[in-house]
Amino acid sequence: MDKLVTLWEGSGLYNLELGQAAMIVVGLVLLYLAIYKKFEPLLLVPIGFGGILANIPEAGLAISALDQAIEVAKPAVLQQMAAVLGTTLDPLTNTEAWRELLKAVAHDGAAPDQVRAARDVAMNVGYSDGMLYSFYNVAIASGIAPLIIFMGVGAMTDFGPLLANPRTLFLGAAAQFGIFATLFGAVALTSLGVMDFSLNQAAAIGIIGGADGPTSIYVSSMLAPELLGAIAVAAYAYMALVPLIQPPIMRLLTTEKERQIKMTQLRPVSKLEKVVFPLVLLILVALFLPDAAPLLGMFCFGNLMRECGVVERLSDTAQNALINIVTIVLGLAVGSKLMAESFLSFETLGILGLGIVAFGIGTAAGVLMAKLMNLMSKMPINPLIGAAGVSAVPMAARVANKVGLEANPHNFLLMHAMGPNVAGVIGSAVAAGVMIKYLS
Amino acid sequence: MQDLELLQDGLALMALGMGFVFVFLTVLVISVTLMSKLIGRFQPIPAAATESQNSRKSAASSAQSSTQSSAQNDEIVAVISAAVHRYRSTRHR
Repeated sequence: MDKLVTLWEGSGLYNLELGQAAMIVVGLVLLYLAIYKKFEPLLLVPIGFGGILANIPEAGLAISALDQAIEVAKPAVLQQMAAVLGTTLDPLTNTEAWRELLKAVAHDGAAPDQVRAARDVAMNVGYSDGMLYSFYNVAIASGIAPLIIFMGVGAMTDFGPLLANPRTLFLGAAAQFGIFATLFGAVALTSLGVMDFSLNQAAAIGIIGGADGPTSIYVSSMLAPELLGAIAVAAYAYMALVPLIQPPIMRLLTTEKERQIKMTQLRPVSKLEKVVFPLVLLILVALFLPDAAPLLGMFCFGNLMRECGVVERLSDTAQNALINIVTIVLGLAVGSKLMAESFLSFETLGILGLGIVAFGIGTAAGVLMAKLMNLMSKMPINPLIGAAGVSAVPMAARVANKVGLEANPHNFLLMHAMGPNVAGVIGSAVAAGVMIKYLS
Repeated sequence: MQDLELLQDGLALMALGMGFVFVFLTVLVISVTLMSKLIGRFQPIPAAATESQNSRKSAASSAQSSTQSSAQNDEIVAVISAAVHRYRSTRHR
């Protein structure tokens, strides 16, 4: 009978908390969006599944060895850990109270070496870091996974359209206004008392407006790791929604006539220019903003591998096999941050709301900047390509092309929109660098 | 009071960030334009490449119009020698 009770008490059903159940439902919703609605399936499938794994009760896939031991170890082990942590466990209370106390001490009160010692105790009795916890540490906390993905994106990016018409870089810059406006919005909500975000958190939320998954993850892992789950989900979900969010804003801000503007054919770009460009960008980053060097450095490296033409194999690996492997690890690691205590809060709703505002403002700023440039320059610029300034490569460029075709079925804007599109990637990485510089 | 400070910080970061993004990309625009000009001056490959592409196209079309090999060969020889000449002249400079 005792054995039966132990088995029952060890079951998921017995230990399932309401928050965990809710998070498993959230994970299932993400999977539904990814599989049936085709929302960025490459990322939302691993993220959703990781979210479910992270919330399996007792399995402790997303927590460290120490936390796992505190949660499930026998009383004798708990006492051993309490001794190491420098607290005493009141023998009159039950083990549940001991676990609460140890958790509180391990996460706040204890000195780093005490925590390390307690971790050793947990390791000694056979507990180990959860798989997703290790993934998170290796892939995201170190910053490696977003950077490798950025390298792959660099290897997939053709800077030809940008080099043919460098002024489209301004469109990529203008669209970054979404990031900073949202940052200010988050801060304003805090000062109005609606939400409670620190400046770091506000910056991490704003970067959703960069419409760039790896940049968002990189910045939030540095500035606000506690919000990473919500921010990554918001960033990827809205990237999938670009074709729905952008067109109404684009139509609102442009006239039919402006949408019909034809742009002059792009000049051919020599191979040498394409090879030199990543090096020029790298030197500028090194000179002006070393904090953006990890992101843009890997981006330039990937692009150089693509354009130099002598390392086909490396370039091929970076844009296929490697990026796929890293995407799996990154997705699962982001899923590990979908824990009930941090995700199920009012702030998450705020992040989702602010994220969509960020996209909208970025799109609007890009379109308005393109209108301004069209007025000032001799060469006609179709304002629609400004909307592609929010990175989201290549989705935003396709949207600009599609809205352009609606106005004039013979006007193909895709190549013209790729310029601001890749400029947006550079712009959001620069914005990320500025924020990291300013806040850390 | 603290809220006001936060608001000010947010505003400052917004102005600074947006300003820096623009300055950086402006510098990038200038340096990319300069780079393209420099490369265009010292190695006018794109022009040559497009020329030969065009002539290849016209060669192909003339082949279709069955004026046959000799005229076509002459044209190809002319194009190739022009390309070689151009390549050499850029090399020796």
